[in-house]
Amino acid sequence: MKWINNLESFPYPFKGSTYRYSNNSIPMKTPLCVEVTPDYIEEMQLKRTLLNHHAERCYQSLPHTITGQWEIVELVIDHLAAQYPDQFSVEKKGSKWTFNNKILEEKQEFTFGGESTFPEEPLAFISRHVQEDLILMMQRDGDLYLDAGQLCFPANWSLAFNLGMKFKCIHHPIPGFKEEGLDDRILQFLMRLEAGNPWERKNWSLMAGDRLDTSLETFDQWGKLRKQVTKENAGELVHIRVEVQKLFRLPRTNGILFTINTHLLSLENLVSNREWLKQFHDILSELPPHITDYKGISLYKNEVLKYLSEKLESGKVV
Amino acid sequence: MTEAVFVPGKRKYVFCSDQEGIKLLFNVIEQVKEEGRPYEIFKIVENQDCLELGELLKKQKMGTHLYVALPYAELEKVRKTAEEIGFTEEETQYIGYGNKVKRIFCCRCHGMNETADVQADILCSQCGLELSISDHYSVFHNAFLGFVAKL
Ligand SMILES: [Zn+2]
Repeated sequence: MKWINNLESFPYPFKGSTYRYSNNSIPMKTPLCVEVTPDYIEEMQLKRTLLNHHAERCYQSLPHTITGQWEIVELVIDHLAAQYPDQFSVEKKGSKWTFNNKILEEKQEFTFGGESTFPEEPLAFISRHVQEDLILMMQRDGDLYLDAGQLCFPANWSLAFNLGMKFKCIHHPIPGFKEEGLDDRILQFLMRLEAGNPWERKNWSLMAGDRLDTSLETFDQWGKLRKQVTKENAGELVHIRVEVQKLFRLPRTNGILFTINTHLLSLENLVSNREWLKQFHDILSELPPHITDYKGISLYKNEVLKYLSEKLESGKVV
Repeated sequence: MTEAVFVPGKRKYVFCSDQEGIKLLFNVIEQVKEEGRPYEIFKIVENQDCLELGELLKKQKMGTHLYVALPYAELEKVRKTAEEIGFTEEETQYIGYGNKVKRIFCCRCHGMNETADVQADILCSQCGLELSISDHYSVFHNAFLGFVAKL
């Protein structure tokens, strides 16, 4: 669920009273690369509209990724059919597969691994059936490269610009990431990822507004809202954005699939949990400038802090 | 790097340059000749793609040292070709000359722009957006990311 009103399903990201960048990956308890939530139909409509109208922004791939893309198709379909048998099924007769999406009432027959099965690439096809964004990183020469991806809901980055880029270069804009040696540690961690042992992590930021598709390409439109935040409207306008990222090694190509599930929760919903209010206030007050700058919070951090302080003092929950 | 440096004792030397760039490699080529080492010169003509050079580089055995002298704007595609084939930083020297024109990727329309002054904001030649130039570089695009200058 993305625009969450139900606090129990929100992937609350904080621990302790301070936040710093770290490799906060943990082994997955339920090794599923995708999830189907009650917002499935609504989000698939939004995603497909974006994919149809902004193909270059939302989908990029290099030609050598097709085998890896098929591995993703297999992993995603197997997980969907196993976890949600009432909604999805797959019939495999050799390489003749029939995938049935019963929610959208779409049946697709295809030759697994075959070249001209779909009008589009395998990754593009399967991405039209899942709420998550799907990123494929290929491993070679002791490095990881972002070689294909379907990205409708980025947190202010450009898939088109990052295509073909090495892991460390992708993270170059994050202040302190390199200096603290984190880029190397996380790269080494990812390169040791084993098939069958998926990991997951959460990443968070704040945003003014409630758009899921905060691409770098459209920043000139949605970024402006940052200037409109006041302590009076922060509860409604400002949202905490949490990405649940899942990491799966693809055994045949040795690539890595990242699935990204993005969740938004308004501050007024967040602070209705008194413990979260207290903890988030502590973390935001203490957050160093290099992190607030990169997360795009600097322009309105003070207004949010005023809002949180008032909530804390008043002791009353909205 | 602004000057080619002779690295003695290599199995073979490959020089890659254009008409003008070859002058920057002259001293090193002389030294290679004096040492009697095997070498090869590959001439690049303007706006040539790197396919042929790629084929030549692929044929080289371990221990080959590569010198490239080209205008800054053309250096990067050769660097990319050599890196993809597996030439490491230690095995290569890149000497650029001329204007250091940089390519700027527009964050909004993906259009490509060129500028010599990365300190100043530019207007995207394709969509008109005012862009600040970041130090985020893509080898794939051979370009720096230009991002929204004013909200
Ligand atoms: Zn543009």
